[in-house]
Amino acid sequence: MMFIIIGITLCLPSAGYLIVENVRQISTKIQHEAEISIFLKKDISQDQIDFIDSALRSSSEIKKIHFEPKLTAWEKLQSKLKLSTLDIGISENPLPDGFFITLNTLSNTKIKKLTEDLKLISGVDNIVVDGSWIKKLRAIIYMVKIGLFSLGTLLVIVLIVIISNTIRLQTLTYQNEILVSKLIGATNSFIHRPFIYTGLIYGLGGGIITVGTLKSIVFTFNNMAEKYEYILGNSITLVGLSAVNYTIIVLLAMTIGLFSSFFAARQSIKKLEKSY
Amino acid sequence: MIKFDRVFKKYPGEMDALQDISLEILSGELVFVTGPSGAGKSTLLKLISAVEKPTNGSIIFENTNLSELRNKDMPFLRRKFGMIFQDHKLLYDRNCFENVVLPLEINDINPADSARRVRAALNKVGLLNKEKMNPITLSGGEQQRLAIARAIVSRPLILIADEPTGNLDKSYADEIMNIFYSFQQVGVTVIISCHELPQSPIKFKQIHLIKGQISNSDKHVPLLS
Repeated sequence: MMFIIIGITLCLPSAGYLIVENVRQISTKIQHEAEISIFLKKDISQDQIDFIDSALRSSSEIKKIHFEPKLTAWEKLQSKLKLSTLDIGISENPLPDGFFITLNTLSNTKIKKLTEDLKLISGVDNIVVDGSWIKKLRAIIYMVKIGLFSLGTLLVIVLIVIISNTIRLQTLTYQNEILVSKLIGATNSFIHRPFIYTGLIYGLGGGIITVGTLKSIVFTFNNMAEKYEYILGNSITLVGLSAVNYTIIVLLAMTIGLFSSFFAARQSIKKLEKSY
Repeated sequence: MIKFDRVFKKYPGEMDALQDISLEILSGELVFVTGPSGAGKSTLLKLISAVEKPTNGSIIFENTNLSELRNKDMPFLRRKFGMIFQDHKLLYDRNCFENVVLPLEINDINPADSARRVRAALNKVGLLNKEKMNPITLSGGEQQRLAIARAIVSRPLILIADEPTGNLDKSYADEIMNIFYSFQQVGVTVIISCHELPQSPIKFKQIHLIKGQISNSDKHVPLLS
């Protein structure tokens, strides 16, 4: 029973962490950098384009610059859509020239400042900032992580209370044995030992249940995702925690068991000593 | 071996349990601590066995001042004593063998040696054939003999018995006292508390307590003044 209580209690923040880790990894894979698309006015001259290019190159926030002439963009679009100008009923290229820049920062303040500066340059028509949602997502992940950490801390406290109470009840069950042992020369460590072992075993059992449950969640989710791949049109895979993380969970559970049992046994035995 | 020098013991919120106790117990002596209920007999035995510390005064046991003994050293001192209680303090979820082996487990004696010593102790008190039985199935006298076996198994320097025959009828009480006498004969110091002085076939010392003070006029019982 105690194994299940510890296992499920630790499972809640661990499962949350598992999900957050997966979302974080996906966000990392999608995009690492913010990008800005600068669309120029249609009647812009080559001198102005050169001026904008040199202005962009002088900015320290810009990592990479790619210029896409409107003609190239139009050709790319046509080839992508496999259509001719006649098919879409447009005789003239509607696309503007554009600069596509990659930034070396994800700072919102810096991106905002750069965007405002770029808007002031003559010949710039419109600016689109891409990738800011990644930053928002990361901020959300960070907040969720803090929330999970708080929840985890609260649940650890709950576990300590539950294990401590169980050990305290056990010391009462073995009250006579403890008192007799003390009277005939048992040291505190001799008396604490069986209770500490019990706490450690509770932690180990609970930790194993947590790891088992998390692995089951990952396995079941991935199986279901594979089954419904044709509906979703995309395969979603939940990646399990690393072996190190699983080991940390088991060790954490054992540490909680160890300390709770040690302090509960010590406190309880001190009280018992008064009843000699 | 044990020397009390002007020892006082007071429990919080109560009168002095012991007042101005000075005495000396020599190695190998048989000592009876007598007196009515509430005279301080149990308190005196608790002080000797380092279960309690005195409020004032000093208790010297083999050059160690028990008043100044650190708590963590207490268990090692207690291992030198064999304790026997009126209510036996046996563990009824263990059989006779397991009860007697407990002090040896505490002393970390290897299992083979422990088994040999437990059987020798049970044999000494006449319970060898009952080692697998639960103490609850034994008679009062047998339970007290089992408690004695547990006290002697670790070969203590001193046997301390707090009213060991208090709950027993005369035939059982004599049987128990004879076991104590036999230990005294082989050099073990035996300290027994009881209401009345039993008839002892061997030389003994009496410490008679009344209201926490020594009240002893027996000239054959030398005490440190």
